[in-house]
Amino acid sequence: MFHNSSQKKFWTFKNEDELEQMRCIANEKFRKKALDSAKPGIIDPMLLGRHEEDALFRYYERRLLDFCNAFKPAMPKSVVGTAIMYFRRFYLNNSVMEYHPRIIMLTCAYLSCKVDEFNVSSTQFVGNLLQETPAGQERVAEQILEYELLLIRQLNFHLVVHNPYRPMEGLLIDLKTRYPTLENPESLRKSADDFLTQAAMTDAGLVFSPSQIALTAILNSASRAGLNMESYLTECLGLKEDKETLSKMYDSMRRMKTLLKKYELPKQDEVNIYKQKLERIHAEFASSSNKRKRGYEEDGHVAKEPRLTEEDWTDEDLL
Amino acid sequence: MDDQGCPRCKTTKYRNPSLKLMVNVCGHTLCENCVEMLFARGSGSCMQCDTPLRKSNFRVQLFEDATVDKEVEIRKKVMKIYNKREFNFSSLRDYNDYLEQVEDIVYNLTNNIDVENTKLRMEQYQRENKDIIQRNKAKLTREQEELEELLLQEQQSNEQRRLEVLQEEQRQLQAKRKSKQALLDELEQSELPATILLAQHKVRAAQLETQIEQQKQNVKPTTRFGIQIGQTVSLQPVPRIQEVLYQYKPLQVETYGPPAPDLEQLSRFGYLNHVRAAMPQDTAGGYTSALACYRAIQDAFSGLFPLKG
Repeated sequence: MFHNSSQKKFWTFKNEDELEQMRCIANEKFRKKALDSAKPGIIDPMLLGRHEEDALFRYYERRLLDFCNAFKPAMPKSVVGTAIMYFRRFYLNNSVMEYHPRIIMLTCAYLSCKVDEFNVSSTQFVGNLLQETPAGQERVAEQILEYELLLIRQLNFHLVVHNPYRPMEGLLIDLKTRYPTLENPESLRKSADDFLTQAAMTDAGLVFSPSQIALTAILNSASRAGLNMESYLTECLGLKEDKETLSKMYDSMRRMKTLLKKYELPKQDEVNIYKQKLERIHAEFASSSNKRKRGYEEDGHVAKEPRLTEEDWTDEDLL
Repeated sequence: MDDQGCPRCKTTKYRNPSLKLMVNVCGHTLCENCVEMLFARGSGSCMQCDTPLRKSNFRVQLFEDATVDKEVEIRKKVMKIYNKREFNFSSLRDYNDYLEQVEDIVYNLTNNIDVENTKLRMEQYQRENKDIIQRNKAKLTREQEELEELLLQEQQSNEQRRLEVLQEEQRQLQAKRKSKQALLDELEQSELPATILLAQHKVRAAQLETQIEQQKQNVKPTTRFGIQIGQTVSLQPVPRIQEVLYQYKPLQVETYGPPAPDLEQLSRFGYLNHVRAAMPQDTAGGYTSALACYRAIQDAFSGLFPLKG
């Protein structure tokens, strides 16, 4: 359950500023490493700043969501939620410049399928990359398997993620049973679902517990429909006397709604510029440290080629 | 034992597990048949080391490694001469030094190191300590005799007990037969009605039974002692250790949220009406809709309230 989970102990933070700090630290760490490596091509303006990283992160997160939604067979919502959470947690402690988000996002999706017991073989998984040739897909599969252990380690081996979907179901059941004032809770479901999907694209999962997110979703959709659910909180959840808790809950809900409102998809041309910078950085680092242990493949394209041409598969190949 | 073969006829040991290996003073083994064949004339030489041997020197091998047997023989001989015991020495250090000497001698003789010198040393020691050796020998024999006496006594007492038990049984059997006979006689001769006689007989038989039981009870404790002669028995009661009794306390878990209803109460409150009912295929595995409902409700309430502070 959530109350004694690793998510609550290690991956729930006080507020968004703390998260921003962690990301800045990760950025700084990589900058230092890059500049210390004293390579001729690396200069400071070449490296990504914090807001550029953020834009790229949001862009790739969106791509991850689209990839999961287009996945065949249909991926359950919890798997999608887990994948996005992994992606988010990974880039809390690591910089986009160090590990390319393209690979990490596929690795997150793959790992989340495994953890959530949505059985997909690796071949089937990369078969969803429609723009790739089968050889290209194989290469992607290899890359995913390489990065998998890294991802798990960066998640500190805390692989269980509690998503807000089941709490939402639970709250709907509770509403139907104990709150007859509300005639048709089912009508709230659709808009609450949308709220949850949007919340997954924000830092809400790292600050609030999943049941709080679900409750906010339902209250939000109720207020959108013009229904007042205050009495649910006071009566059914037993908060009539406990004014402090009640006010705190309203406060967190307000914060969550602000988070959602703040979210915006980055502009495409900006993203393109940042992407180019990113590619350049990765090319610089990759050409010197060729981590791939190739050379045991039978077909023609073996290790001797430079890394740039390996990354034939670009973002467009994902969808 | 089967991996070791007779060095001469090699195969015979595997085929005939009952065949014994014999060892002699040089430490080499031979199976019984080979000993017969080689030493038919009474004496010969070992085929591996060429030491002159006699047939009587062969003993049945007790250990897997023949060198161990050899050492055992040598040790026995040495200990006959070096038989000092702890009370012969003034300090523990001296006793240990003496033991070290003995071990050195045995080691040398077993591994054929410096045999001449060792033998000379032994003879010298024997000459010097003749009287002590004699005294210790006498003591040893006396102790052994005492032990044997004790054993004999125990055996005898066991025998006696057995006999007594047998006799007792016989006596009981006889008593029973007598009472039966007495009943028959009375039925013949007496003038009282048969029922009264039968009742009397029953009472007497019951009394006899209780008597037998009591006797058995008395006999048991005395024969269970088995204490050796000369030992004292501590008659203090065993101390009773009393600890705090375990009290069951159900596990309290902090869920940071409103309390969720129990699994059993779910249907009562009407939660189950809003959950998909379990199909027959699902219930076969033990699934009930209450389980899914319970989990959803728990998840919904877990962590709902913000943390204090």
